[in-house]
Amino acid sequence: MKCRNVQKKLSAYQDRELEPREQEQVRSHLLSCRACSEQFAELERVWQTLGEFEEIRPNPWFYQQIVRKIKKPREQRLFPSLQWVPRLLPAPVIVFILLVVGILTGTYLGNILSQSNIFLLHYEQASETVFTSMRVFDPAPPGTLAEGYFRMVSYKEDDSR
Amino acid sequence: MAPMDNLSSEELMAKIAEGDNDSFEILVSRHQTSVLNLIYRFIGDRTQAKDLAQEVFLRVWQSAKSYEPKAKFTTWIYRITANLCFNELKSTRRKKWFSFNWSDEDGEHTFEETLADNAPSAEDLLLEKERSSQIANALQSLSENQRMALILKRYDALSYQEIAQVIGCSVSAVESLLVRAKRTLQKKLKNFEK
Repeated sequence: MKCRNVQKKLSAYQDRELEPREQEQVRSHLLSCRACSEQFAELERVWQTLGEFEEIRPNPWFYQQIVRKIKKPREQRLFPSLQWVPRLLPAPVIVFILLVVGILTGTYLGNILSQSNIFLLHYEQASETVFTSMRVFDPAPPGTLAEGYFRMVSYKEDDSR
Repeated sequence: MAPMDNLSSEELMAKIAEGDNDSFEILVSRHQTSVLNLIYRFIGDRTQAKDLAQEVFLRVWQSAKSYEPKAKFTTWIYRITANLCFNELKSTRRKKWFSFNWSDEDGEHTFEETLADNAPSAEDLLLEKERSSQIANALQSLSENQRMALILKRYDALSYQEIAQVIGCSVSAVESLLVRAKRTLQKKLKNFEK
């Protein structure tokens, strides 16, 4: 068997998954080939290293905790199982859907209200209110002493003419 | 309870289907360590591993009546475990996306930190933990299928045929998964060995 073929089969050889005849062929090749045997030794070292991964032990109440879960009323188990529903939709998708729904609802309502006269009346009243309220920024806002003074002055000026 | 200890897991499942709690307790005690460690090595989080292991046995209990011993019991329970692990990873990824949490995306330090949290203060144990965390990080660098295949082979000594049944792929696919996994680990653990 050639080195290239052996190297392809090293993993399966290590796992003892080759046919007995192939397993034997690889074994005898490794005995005679230094490069391949070094490669296999490297593979074995990694395998040994993996064995150092710690093993954890279940706690003494493991079984009791399972039994408690089994005895939980069906309704209580149903709701947690439905928790995956919102997880189906990630946040950006939800934001996008809300945005689209908002725009469509706004457009729809805007169209309905703009077609009705009530809206126009309200609109006029509203714009008047806006202009009135904007007058608080006048030098003499309506209803103030300054406004009364200006009125008196302008009245006298009109009189003198 | 002593004579029941000699029953095979498949026979215990038949008894569980009839509502025998003692059989279930024996079955849990027989497989809890292997299931728990399979999840722990795959997911890399103790708390999550414990919760998921309980979920595995909950499903075993629930499907006892429909269970048909076509394959070995261990293959069947590992299949349930593997499916739960894959789903958990998907769900974790979705949760991260859902909460705009991109910081752990590379998963570079997560496992190490998890182990460090559980590390005892004794120096020798700390060193052991350090080595364990290096192995864990190397395992986490593998793809999900490679990692699952490797864990099942290395720690549970399953055959390629059994791993194929657990993961749901062909035997040749398992072989190439393991070749690639071992190649990656050789690179990742090179410094570790020296």
